[in-house]
Amino acid sequence: MSDYDIAIEVDARGSFCPGPMMELIKAIRQAEVGEFLSLLSSDEGTRKDVPAWIDKAKHELVEIINEDGYDKYIVKKLH
Amino acid sequence: MKKIVILGGGFSGLATANHLIRKIKRTEAKVILIEPKEYNVYEPDLLVWVFKDKPFSSLTKPILKILDPRVTWIKSEATKIIQNENKIHLKNGENIIYDYLILATGARMAEEKIEAICADNVCHFYTPEGAIHLKEALKNFQGGTIVITPTTVPYKCPPAPIEFTFLLDKYLRKRELRDKSKIKFLYPLSRAFTMEKPAEEIEKLFQKREIEFTSFFNFETVDVKNNKVISLEGEEIEYDGLVFVPPHEGQDIIKESGLGDREGWIKTDRYTMKHTEYSNIYAIGDATNLPVSKSGAVAHFSSKILVKNLVAEIKGKEPKARYKGLTICFILVSFHKSMLLHFSYDFPPKRYGLHSSFLYGFFKKIFKIAYFQALIKGYL
Repeated sequence: MSDYDIAIEVDARGSFCPGPMMELIKAIRQAEVGEFLSLLSSDEGTRKDVPAWIDKAKHELVEIINEDGYDKYIVKKLH
Repeated sequence: MKKIVILGGGFSGLATANHLIRKIKRTEAKVILIEPKEYNVYEPDLLVWVFKDKPFSSLTKPILKILDPRVTWIKSEATKIIQNENKIHLKNGENIIYDYLILATGARMAEEKIEAICADNVCHFYTPEGAIHLKEALKNFQGGTIVITPTTVPYKCPPAPIEFTFLLDKYLRKRELRDKSKIKFLYPLSRAFTMEKPAEEIEKLFQKREIEFTSFFNFETVDVKNNKVISLEGEEIEYDGLVFVPPHEGQDIIKESGLGDREGWIKTDRYTMKHTEYSNIYAIGDATNLPVSKSGAVAHFSSKILVKNLVAEIKGKEPKARYKGLTICFILVSFHKSMLLHFSYDFPPKRYGLHSSFLYGFFKKIFKIAYFQALIKGYL
């Protein structure tokens, strides 16, 4: 696990699909190019939706960290 | 005697007022409703009305005929809420002091946030003005590409743009314009609806009816000069007609009072319907930040819980009722058929309701009668 300089952290734990992904999209809109964001989600659907969206939107999914009861998605805004 | 003030006279404010007034004694509390408009609009039918040859008056009813006469109605607009003093300023200069406040302020259509407001070939069906414009534009349509897209989430009635798309397909077939037209449905998620199982059914129907579906299209902007809609993901889609869901936000009065989140949705306990920070403030309807649909069904079911809790408080008891996210939703797939969804915070839509049926279509049709005669009057 690496340390990232997280510009925006979105805590969407307890929120169901598509809540976490839509929260991430809102945060991406606010972030600057090159910044790192983290999304905390306990929803299983996020594991499928977020990587697929990041792929389509051409940002970078840097890492998914499995924490106790939730996942932490580290995302870099590329454009 | 306690004073209960309800701010907003849309469906949720009126239904709550009418239900509440029958559950309390006159000596226990006075109920005041603040609403400047004279009429209530049956919003679920706006998207059907744009395809029909009916006057707009078929969708409205005077509040005077809906509101229980025991409720005091103040026809003015609230301009400020001072929650630390339990006070509301009104546009007419009055100040209202309350013991309990119920916020039923609804959602604001933040059309200024995108560069397209209703004009010529671009419009929506989320306001009476928008629907009137869209109806005219549809009448004049002679073929081409119509694109349907939400611009932000959340928005009122999540299936509404899907329903519009299905009805548009039928309408164009009836006018023998379908061969000359393309229908494109754009959606911000990987599937055509928030929930997986209904999304599968909807996508099958899209395929059958030759409706093109683009996933992961998060609206960024519209280029009205070149008739293009552009996504955050970098896609550009051309249109001859654009039907969008306008951006939704909480009302300015909620933002300014600090009772809402960043987008002005009222911070509401998802179970008790109380404000998360002020124990004498409740919230209901589209104005809340509940993690469920912004729909009349949610307002209806959660209003029962709100009334139970408030009545308990007035009687000096603990407010114990809990809203569990129950909602029911009919998705129109044609002018005569609907799919039925039934779900809550913890349970996804049940499979039995996912086929389209004339029976559910019939329910949807007669629902307007139930809306004005029973639901908004707080009888059901």
